[in-house]
Amino acid sequence: MTPSLHFRPLRPAVAADGASTLDLLITVQPPERSAEEPTQSRPPLNLALVIDRSGSMMGRKLCYARKAAQFLAGELNDRDHLAIVTFNSAVNVLVPSQPVRDPLRFISAINTIDPGGATALFDGWRAGATEVANQLDPQGLNRVLLLSDGQANKGLTNQRRIANRVEGLTKRGISTSAFGLGSSFDEDLMGAIASAGDGTLAQIESPEQLDDLYASELQGLAGTLARRVGIRIAPRHGAQLVEVFNDLEKLEDGSLKLPNLRAGQELTVGLRLKLPAWVSNQEICSVRLAWNSPGGDGRQELETSFTLPVMAAADLQGLAADAVVAEQLALLQANRQRRLAIEQLDDGDIDGAEDTLLSATTLFSLIPDSELTRRELRMLEEKRALLRQDRNLSRKRLSRESLRSRLNIWSGGDGSA
Amino acid sequence: MDDSVPGSPRQPNGRADSGERDLAAESYGLEELLALAGERLGEEITPRTVRLYATQGLIDRPGREGRSAIYSGRHLLQLLLIRSLARRGLSLTAIAPVVAGSDAELLSQLRQLEDPTAPDPSRRLSASFSSEQLQALAYLDELNSEESDPSDQPSGLLSLLGAPLTTGSLTQKLRSRLSARSSGRSSAASSRWHRFALAPGVELHLSDSASIPPTGSRREAWLQRLVDRLREQLDSDG
Repeated sequence: MTPSLHFRPLRPAVAADGASTLDLLITVQPPERSAEEPTQSRPPLNLALVIDRSGSMMGRKLCYARKAAQFLAGELNDRDHLAIVTFNSAVNVLVPSQPVRDPLRFISAINTIDPGGATALFDGWRAGATEVANQLDPQGLNRVLLLSDGQANKGLTNQRRIANRVEGLTKRGISTSAFGLGSSFDEDLMGAIASAGDGTLAQIESPEQLDDLYASELQGLAGTLARRVGIRIAPRHGAQLVEVFNDLEKLEDGSLKLPNLRAGQELTVGLRLKLPAWVSNQEICSVRLAWNSPGGDGRQELETSFTLPVMAAADLQGLAADAVVAEQLALLQANRQRRLAIEQLDDGDIDGAEDTLLSATTLFSLIPDSELTRRELRMLEEKRALLRQDRNLSRKRLSRESLRSRLNIWSGGDGSA
Repeated sequence: MDDSVPGSPRQPNGRADSGERDLAAESYGLEELLALAGERLGEEITPRTVRLYATQGLIDRPGREGRSAIYSGRHLLQLLLIRSLARRGLSLTAIAPVVAGSDAELLSQLRQLEDPTAPDPSRRLSASFSSEQLQALAYLDELNSEESDPSDQPSGLLSLLGAPLTTGSLTQKLRSRLSARSSGRSSAASSRWHRFALAPGVELHLSDSASIPPTGSRREAWLQRLVDRLREQLDSDG
């Protein structure tokens, strides 16, 4: 099963008589696969659920976390492995990794979780990772699911160092998803972990959403077609890559890191190239995609290049822009504006952040109205209004939305991401 | 009596324990717990002993039913393990980390103690690890030794006691602990001995005063000498 690469330029030509700017989308399309089969044919899952049980999880949060963990155990079968790890100041491997033959076994253990203590988040992750590693199945999907509502305050707490370590494990076949719960978790840390972990980032404002999140995570895992996806964009014949609007991180081989490719879900990269006067039929850019298939051996690759017709620069201006491309590029740029607004917030510059979000809304004034643009405008307005009411919540939501350009983000069915 | 009591007389080798039992569902009063444990261990267990272990955190706190304490299968398992290990000369401090494990770990540990040759379904021998698994485990072990400050864990070696009973890669753990130890506390001389189980029925006893060369050629040469000595012993026996 091989994904395919598609190119969609904002305008369908480049200039023959002078320099031109070319904005385009590259989409990675998953191979077709019938919608009914995934649960039957999915690879075995090897999961560790790592649950924060520090004092702040007291009450509703822990109650729902327990319930959702039970739900997760109930959704798995004897081909799957599950471990349950809890952490506060210390780490407790509540149920060591084992096949899910009897969900009740997990459920009764989960019922014993009670809250208290500090947040040794990294140690908890490491214990969960060790459980997964003990059962690591190169043919299956091996993942740590980390649920926390707080700031790491015990053991290793430095974001960059934690992310480095998580990434090291990703390279060795075990991914990590990060689920932040409530209003006091560290969204930057959770984002960095999910990114380094090649997993899903979720920010859950209400613990009732946990069941849905786990269901979606399982479905996503079951539908995973490619992980550790990297894309390399190589402009040809004097063309230059000006920018990639997604602001993707780099993998160790220098390619740009994309989220996992899942059934029924396209990945989109927006970029801008600068071209000298172009010759007809000359290749503009070649793109190489590399990934690991679950169950497949080693790295797989796909390379494609594209070219466009040439015409006079004056005529080029008259060509209508592709509305779908314009919309996607505006979305990517609005995500960038969100990241800028977060920086301004962190500097205490609320006025600046407000201006930045306002300018993001103008990105959409130039493109045709659609359901998507209306939704995006609403989201931006919400965040702008929230800046002064609840800076913390606003920052969390901005962070989640901005990361849509480069991570699998759980949208939570609230329509906001 | 409940057939599923761990190590009850009807299961002399504990083999019938699958590790799948729900220990939390079993329920005993103190008298019953003492009788079961006493019978199994062949020694009298007093209420005072149980209280001592509970106050030292070796046994989970019992549940309550009115004014009387209620114990579960896990409590019984912990009690059996503590006594079995204590009779082998281990201190309570050394036993503590062993009895803090999950139910499945406790069951497999007790099984190993009772019959070291019994197969342990929850543990995978290193021979059956895939290279991917070994790499991931070695990586995590590396993180483990890198993060832990040896001075924070004066009893770091002790937590390995009963190591064949835990899951994971023993050799990795042993190696990282050895290196942490030799760099951290090599000057602390005493007559204390640490036991590492290397394989079912095979143990290494290591004194605190033993000096272990640092990783590298000296360590290798030292290990080689040990292997040679061991081989001489075996050859002369056979």
